[in-house]
Amino acid sequence: MVFNSFDFVGFIIPVLLLYWLVFRKSGVYQNILLLVASLFFYAWADWRFLALLIASTGINYYLGLKIYQSEDDDRKRNIFLYIGLVFNVGLLLYFKYFNFFYEGFFDLLNIFGADLSYSTLQILLPLGISFFTFQTLGYLIDVYNEEIEPSKDILEFSVFVTFFPKILSGPIERAASFIPQTQIKRTLTYEVFVDGLRQILWGLFAKVVIAENCAAIANPIFNTYEDQSGSTLLLGTFFYAIQLYADFSGYSNMAIGVSKLFGIQLMRNFSTPFFSTNIADFWRKWHISLTTWMMDYVFTPLSFTLRRHQKRGLMIAIVATFVLVGFWHGANWTFVVYGLLHGIYFIPLVYSGKMNTSEIVAKGKWFPSIKEIIKIGLLFFLIMLTDVFFRAPSVTEAFAYLIKIFSSSIIDFPSVLTGTATLTTLILTAFFIIIEWINREKKHDFEISNYHVLLRWSSYIFIFLLLIFFGRSAETFIYFQF
Amino acid sequence: MEIDTIKERVGEVLASILEHNNFEIHDELTAKDVDGWDSLSHMMIITKIEEEFGIRFKLRELNKLKNMGSLVSLIQTKA
Repeated sequence: MVFNSFDFVGFIIPVLLLYWLVFRKSGVYQNILLLVASLFFYAWADWRFLALLIASTGINYYLGLKIYQSEDDDRKRNIFLYIGLVFNVGLLLYFKYFNFFYEGFFDLLNIFGADLSYSTLQILLPLGISFFTFQTLGYLIDVYNEEIEPSKDILEFSVFVTFFPKILSGPIERAASFIPQTQIKRTLTYEVFVDGLRQILWGLFAKVVIAENCAAIANPIFNTYEDQSGSTLLLGTFFYAIQLYADFSGYSNMAIGVSKLFGIQLMRNFSTPFFSTNIADFWRKWHISLTTWMMDYVFTPLSFTLRRHQKRGLMIAIVATFVLVGFWHGANWTFVVYGLLHGIYFIPLVYSGKMNTSEIVAKGKWFPSIKEIIKIGLLFFLIMLTDVFFRAPSVTEAFAYLIKIFSSSIIDFPSVLTGTATLTTLILTAFFIIIEWINREKKHDFEISNYHVLLRWSSYIFIFLLLIFFGRSAETFIYFQF
Repeated sequence: MEIDTIKERVGEVLASILEHNNFEIHDELTAKDVDGWDSLSHMMIITKIEEEFGIRFKLRELNKLKNMGSLVSLIQTKA
């Protein structure tokens, strides 16, 4: 049941009515409804793993309490933490990476002359597993580090793990900001509710208009890359880069918007990342909930351990963290290369010491400077190249695609530009980028509450019309596979 | 060591790593309030503080830090 489906509309309206009219008496009632709705939502998507989700919730809840109760006994605390790490990481390893390591193991043996045949196991990937296991992992580590107290109410904790707007693809929430919201009675605020609707509208536009139209151009190019000119392939990566962003930021805006309708604030996941002037800044704005998670639980301990090695230590920690960021997406070498390239992009920044400067481009101005435009363009180009690895089925094909881009046919007129569909998509994309540019200092990409009422309503109607005329149906989101 | 001396020297470390001094050191100051003080620069700041005061932190001590006040008292217990 994707957000952009009539099934979802049919689900969300009765749940909202019950939430604000019938279950509004207390936070406990609201939580009961949210939990039931979330389990129903998850079961609708894939009932086979409902038991796994419930078991994971129960086990992590118990371990959190146990770590906390063993305050005076370091050995016991460590044991409960390790059980939690093994359980959560084990779930991920089994469901997501088992075949990858299994194949790798046999391939390695075969390289050394063993002649072994093997067949991989048919393992289904439980929906949202990369997202909810990261949430529970972060929770246990926070409890262990005494940064938070564990939840003492299984209902609240279950809502934290299973809350349906974020269960399939995040944002990867932190207990410290989410659980307190479940501990109070939520009240309906007109501004928050309307802001949620606005964010949903923008997310919907990004997904069904921008991402889907870009996909319609990028997919055939990637599928027949051997027959395409370098220039068309370059445009293919451009449309894919836009598609990927519009798809996932669109999903995230819808998730955050839907959550606002229930009076719950999720964390921001994208903050106009393509207007960054360096790679560190890009990752501060791209898939923020994953990057901050990796920074806190992987990069920080790693760079702490390596801190005596100064910049070299920092560099190793960054590259290792980004390889893991890449690998998080899936059990394929393509994602490892994707992460590795991003890690490598950081190296000049680490050495120049300019990594920490983060600012909004052209703050308070209408246009960026020439220097900023060049930096933004160059960074976008470098990211586009890594997206080929993100999209391609194998590393070999990604390299073949990239080599073909930089062949002599890069100067050919790109045949893809002749179709009206491409031009329409380019115009829509330009509109999308302009609105994002205008709102780059705002709390989200379509925060227009301070606009005049006429301008606001004409914007809604205009976007609504774009949805009707240019929207394409979409059954899934790119990030659902992770 | 005097609290004020520690604060002054921490301020110098911050300024040298972040290349600006648009902040005022007070007990409630957090990394979020200081431009550029994020998870990437954090470890460079921590390492520089360790060198400056000739001390060593434990990761768990760092994780528990809430604000500048707690960092300064932690330094004071070690220096």
